Amino acid sequence: MKEIIRITVALTISCLVAGTVMGGVFILTAKAKKHNEHLNMQQTMLGLLESEIRGKPGFSTEELDFCNIYRYIIEDKNKTYLGYVVPAEQDTGSGYELLLIDLEGRLITRHRLDLLSERAMEEQDRAAAIANVLGSHEHARYAETMIIAKLNDQRIAYLLPGKFPGFKTFIHVMAALDSDFNLLGLEIMSHEEDPGLGGEIEREYFKNQFKGKSFEKLRLLEVIKEPLPEEYRRYLEREVSQKDMARIGKEYQDEDIHAITGATISSSCVTNGLKRMVKKFVYRIKILDRVSL
Amino acid sequence: MPATTKTNRQLFVNGLLNENPIFRLALSMCPAVGISTTVMNGILLGIAVLFVQVFSSCTISLIKNYIHPRIRIPTYTLTIATWVTVIDLVLAAYMPVAYKAMGIFVRLIVAFAIITMRLEVFACKNDLWPSFWDGMGMGFGFMFGMVVLGAIREILGMGTLLGYDILGFRPILFFVLPAAGFFTVGFMMAIFNYVETLYSRRRKENNIV
Repeated sequence: MKEIIRITVALTISCLVAGTVMGGVFILTAKAKKHNEHLNMQQTMLGLLESEIRGKPGFSTEELDFCNIYRYIIEDKNKTYLGYVVPAEQDTGSGYELLLIDLEGRLITRHRLDLLSERAMEEQDRAAAIANVLGSHEHARYAETMIIAKLNDQRIAYLLPGKFPGFKTFIHVMAALDSDFNLLGLEIMSHEEDPGLGGEIEREYFKNQFKGKSFEKLRLLEVIKEPLPEEYRRYLEREVSQKDMARIGKEYQDEDIHAITGATISSSCVTNGLKRMVKKFVYRIKILDRVSL
Repeated sequence: MPATTKTNRQLFVNGLLNENPIFRLALSMCPAVGISTTVMNGILLGIAVLFVQVFSSCTISLIKNYIHPRIRIPTYTLTIATWVTVIDLVLAAYMPVAYKAMGIFVRLIVAFAIITMRLEVFACKNDLWPSFWDGMGMGFGFMFGMVVLGAIREILGMGTLLGYDILGFRPILFFVLPAAGFFTVGFMMAIFNYVETLYSRRRKENNIV
């Protein structure tokens, strides 16, 4: 009995020490880590939009304006609403408002939020502002962020950060759509697939396969287990000349997604996850556009 | 095993060749088979294992007198997990470029047999410096093994080395697939065993003379 107690105490102390060390390091690094993630996200966003901006002469990345829309699920006692935190465009001042939309897509109410633009990035500040305007028995749960990229007050693209289950855990991605919902590109932000197998999803030859797929094609996109044609692979890795780029790009425009050798599940997880993500987004943004006008 | 009598250099070479984690001890075979598809994977995983192994070995050799013998394995796992987390967080915060390449390898390490085994066999019976050199030897030995496997599989499977196209064609596509990992590990083990037999036979003859 004495032995058991000693073992328990020793193990508890070891766990406490390990936990303290890990927690301490987490606190020390949290700020720098968040900063890096933010930077990484910004870079990814610009990288995804690069091809779209370059096509328009005279525009630079400085003129780009990103406007974030935060989606919340708001639960009343027996009803569920969707809450969108959107920038209040009609007013001159910078501010946000909360649109309450029911599940059929009808606007219920709109609340003015007491939220400054620079604080809107912080989840806690948003939650506090939302709680202020909601009734006491309504409860808001953060769901996701959608980003609209604007150039001179014109929508040029949508950026969707999202996650879906992969072979092991969640795969975090960022997808870019143009204003007609065609896919501009896909970037894998983080994942824990096996290196060398599922980890290949972050390689150019896989993620570039999604680039340029039209919305109609994307809805029916499938994963095929056929080897990647050599020409197509070199095109995806950007190893062919400018002249051939356009030709090969056109030829494989409507090609399905070629699975990665040895990682069919990861490949189809990304494809199906992206399909679902984009479909839901298009449905939501259409409702949002209709009600906020 | 009592405290080691080997010099630091012997300990280092020991990890690299005589007791190479992959080819001689046959430990940590999951990564050796699964991830050794390219040289770069081998190098990155090798670096990650090297750091965790050295840090964990040093930690355990320092606190070996305070560990209750009945819970030494949980303590090892905790130590490894702590170091993996610390390295992961520090990389993410201060070396974002390295983190992007190595992140997934670092998080994979917690369950590696080789690290736990070295803590159990070596670090909990030896002082700080021998443990440090043993950790270095094992880390570099693992990296060496992974790089050799990666090189064989990358050249034969994809015709490239470190991503550069050197053959211009793909000789045997089979070597990219996971199953080929077993074959390659098997071949390398056979070579190591063969050399070992030759070596010991020659030493025996020398002794007789």
